[in-house]
Amino acid sequence: MLVEMQKKASLSYLPFFATVMTLKMPRISSITALFLLVSTSVLTNLPVFAASAPLDLSDAAIAQRFAVRRQAILAASAAQIKPGNTTTSGGFLDVASALYLGQNREAALARFAVINQPMPNANMFWTYPMATVMVAGGPGFDEPTWQRVKELWRIYWPNRGDTENHWCMYYSSMYLAAQTFEGAGPEQWFNGRSSAENLAEAREYILHWMNIAVTRGQGEYDSPSYIQEYIVPMSMLAGWANDPVLRQRARMMLDYLIYDYAVENIDGFYGGAHSRVYPRQIVAPGNTPIAAISWLLFGFGQETADPANTLLALSGYTPPPILERIARDTTHRPYVERELKRTRWRMRNAEPDSILIGDKRTLPVYKYSYVDREFVLGSSQGGLLQPIQQQTWSLTWRTDKPTATAANTFFAVQPYSSPLEGTMFFGGDWDTVTDLIARSKADYDSPDKLPSGSPFEQVFQHGTALIGLYDLPKGNRFPHITTFFSRDLVNTTEDASGWIFTQGGPVYIAYRPLAPGVWKPNDWTQLLAKDVKGFIGAGFDKWGAGSRCYVSDAQQNGYVVQVAPARDFASFAAFQSAVRALPIKFSTTGKAEVTFTALDGTVLHGRYGSTPTINGKAIDYAHWPLFDSPFAHEKPDSARLEIREGGDRYLLDFKNTRIEETAVPPAQK
Amino acid sequence: MKPSLPLLARAGALLFAASLVASAADQPAHDIYAAVAMTKAQKNSPTPTDSGLYVRRAGSTEWSLYGPRVLGITSIADQPGTNGQVLLLSCADGVLRSTNGGASWRKTTGWDVADVRCIDFAPSHPATAYAATCWGPLRSTDGGATWELAQNGLPKLYCQTLSPDPANAQRVLLGTEAGIYVSNDGAKSWTPTRGPAVCILRIARGVKNPDTLIAGTLGHGVLISHDNGASWSPTDAGSATANLYAAAIDPADTNRLAVGGWGVGLRVSADGGKTWTDRTAGLPAKNVFVVAFDPEVKGRLWASTFEEGTRYSDDLGATWQDGGLYGAYAFDFVFLPAARTP
Repeated sequence: MLVEMQKKASLSYLPFFATVMTLKMPRISSITALFLLVSTSVLTNLPVFAASAPLDLSDAAIAQRFAVRRQAILAASAAQIKPGNTTTSGGFLDVASALYLGQNREAALARFAVINQPMPNANMFWTYPMATVMVAGGPGFDEPTWQRVKELWRIYWPNRGDTENHWCMYYSSMYLAAQTFEGAGPEQWFNGRSSAENLAEAREYILHWMNIAVTRGQGEYDSPSYIQEYIVPMSMLAGWANDPVLRQRARMMLDYLIYDYAVENIDGFYGGAHSRVYPRQIVAPGNTPIAAISWLLFGFGQETADPANTLLALSGYTPPPILERIARDTTHRPYVERELKRTRWRMRNAEPDSILIGDKRTLPVYKYSYVDREFVLGSSQGGLLQPIQQQTWSLTWRTDKPTATAANTFFAVQPYSSPLEGTMFFGGDWDTVTDLIARSKADYDSPDKLPSGSPFEQVFQHGTALIGLYDLPKGNRFPHITTFFSRDLVNTTEDASGWIFTQGGPVYIAYRPLAPGVWKPNDWTQLLAKDVKGFIGAGFDKWGAGSRCYVSDAQQNGYVVQVAPARDFASFAAFQSAVRALPIKFSTTGKAEVTFTALDGTVLHGRYGSTPTINGKAIDYAHWPLFDSPFAHEKPDSARLEIREGGDRYLLDFKNTRIEETAVPPAQK
Repeated sequence: MKPSLPLLARAGALLFAASLVASAADQPAHDIYAAVAMTKAQKNSPTPTDSGLYVRRAGSTEWSLYGPRVLGITSIADQPGTNGQVLLLSCADGVLRSTNGGASWRKTTGWDVADVRCIDFAPSHPATAYAATCWGPLRSTDGGATWELAQNGLPKLYCQTLSPDPANAQRVLLGTEAGIYVSNDGAKSWTPTRGPAVCILRIARGVKNPDTLIAGTLGHGVLISHDNGASWSPTDAGSATANLYAAAIDPADTNRLAVGGWGVGLRVSADGGKTWTDRTAGLPAKNVFVVAFDPEVKGRLWASTFEEGTRYSDDLGATWQDGGLYGAYAFDFVFLPAARTP
């Protein structure tokens, strides 16, 4: 790919701290530029277009626009194969694109030969592009190319990794490679297993993963970064698996993953709580793979190189039009989306209230998002839900700033790092795990980090109001909470009432700390700023500089957040007046406790360690739905997702591996 | 160090007896295998600069990479009676097996096995093998060709160390997150031993007296058992709250014990655990992850500190010599008869 660079991972004895770095920049090649010139109106809802007419959301129009964007992706990728430069230009997926399109075959094979030397070292980040070239471009191979490919699968032992996304990529690749080398014996494989054995192992895992995901939720849920690593393998299988069941289920999983995103997006930005985000992504939500993918899927933002886009385009997958209508919905917004996910498997230190799925321990993750047409405010319940990169809650708003550098977000975090967390999720040793995590996730053990879960955190939300409560023990490594005030906020004022008012684009924000804090620049240790050549900090001056944080170090602590669309008030001052008038009662003596009456009159009450109440009624976590919104209502273990939008019904039935598209009966609309 | 009973059984009583009177200057007749990750230079990467199984051949002072280039190798075991032809490797991806002395390898576990931390054969019935993984124990009854989960009776599945009974292949001790468990039916079921329900990091068994074992724990020092693991009690007040990753019993003298851990360095006992002496002086750091008694060079003690390589001592830790592998984060030392693996 033109700008894709992946630093991969593999691992040691221990954690295979997942890593993917995708440097992004708008990719408009000369070919694409020409293409855009002639077809701008169907590629995306650029402002000039959007201002002139509503976007046509008919099935035909959606399909037509997607087809055009898909071709643009393929053309741009294939264009990286340059007959005059096979030494430096083009990656595996570009080779696949060129061969798939039948252009510059000799140069593509020459480039492929170059990048197949010397030995690979990227593990599953090698297996997936290699397998993709084999299935998408294999018909264009010559015999020497096949011989080298076979040799590599025999002599290079790619590691499987240790995350859900690693395994999905690894086993999807193994499946397709084994399918391609049908009948190959164990001597032809690095792992001494025959093609039939590798195929069976891969199939078994993939189906297992799908079943867990559609019944109890993903462990790496709703990540604006790692959704890429699920779209990639599912695209591969949807495009090329010979097994009709696997192929169909992969397509259904793509629908499922994309719905899961679409229902919480705002203009392509993935709103709400996330399992995994990098520093560059948590402060600049458009600096994410999903922002790039959303261009191909729905036309949000601008064309940006991304492996998932190339895979989607190569696979032939076309999202059902109902998903774009949901992604662009203005009819049902605002609505509440609730989802059930789970934590990554806990190998030890599992809490007493952990649950078993099969023989693996986990905790449910209760997601709640308020999805407005101007913003998404979404949260999970807090706690240690993921290792390293958790975002417990966030507010993300529409913006007209450049996607990759817009800091259109607001959130808080209790930075936490510990061997308890490290050994909970990784097979490392207590005394080294934190150090080794920070070898790749450099911010993990830094007091100014922004992604983090915390065992001392409890968050709940109702509508546009959110409350965070904290109980920090003495001796905690980072004894403070940090609230991120982005550089995109305006009119920030510390009100005498104790509220801090600010505005993010079309959203008014009120933040009430329960204990005083101090203002610090974000990245106050300058860890990211100084990491100019590092994986974590590169480009910080563009995407990260210039924001600040409100840092409070009280042990019993918390905050109340109340947001509102600016359209609901005559002025910012009117919003402030309304918030000042809201009843609020709190205590930080003993366990932090808050009772707050929100703008809509709802009374939220929480005491750290107890189940929060809404209007006096305890939040019913026990019956939390797998999905619940105007578009879908599913219980855990249903293994299905019935999506309804307008008059359309789209059913993903994983038990029977079928998709059903029907009109909603008039009586049920 | 993994229990070395199989090795000694094969080496034979004569060789073993001779080792008791050998000096440190004698040429060793074994190769030393070290499962390590080269993490010292690891930066901005989740991957060590190198890792795997390193071997120091008999008579050599150099280490070289051995076996498949797969990440996360934690140990190696050879099947008694196969003259070094059947070998098992434990690693992050599962269990790898060779039936031709390491010339080629085959993964013998499926997708559901990961993070294997310890592996060993049952000396009295070499077709039986056990493995401890971060997700629960495994057993094999066909020499490691196939494996099955062996979780019945375990309240918590995490385990990273085990010790088969040398006389009874059906009996195996397992170090778990919640203490040491024992199975008397070939890992079909497990029951707790009498001892603290703490996380066990390493179990070491005596050779001359297999009923004596020691165990390193997370935060609770070293435990000792004199009844084949049926009961355990603390020993060494000097390391009572330490995280002890390393434990070893001299195969030539069950009274000679060594433990090592984070911040506590290396401690030895010459009287079966009655008294302990700090032998950290001379080591590059106080963070010890592996200790091992050389099975053939009397008194030689190996130790590996975090990312500072290996050291060996021929005077039970009074002085130390550089053993190489600088930068390594070691998980296990295993001694196999020399020149039996390619």
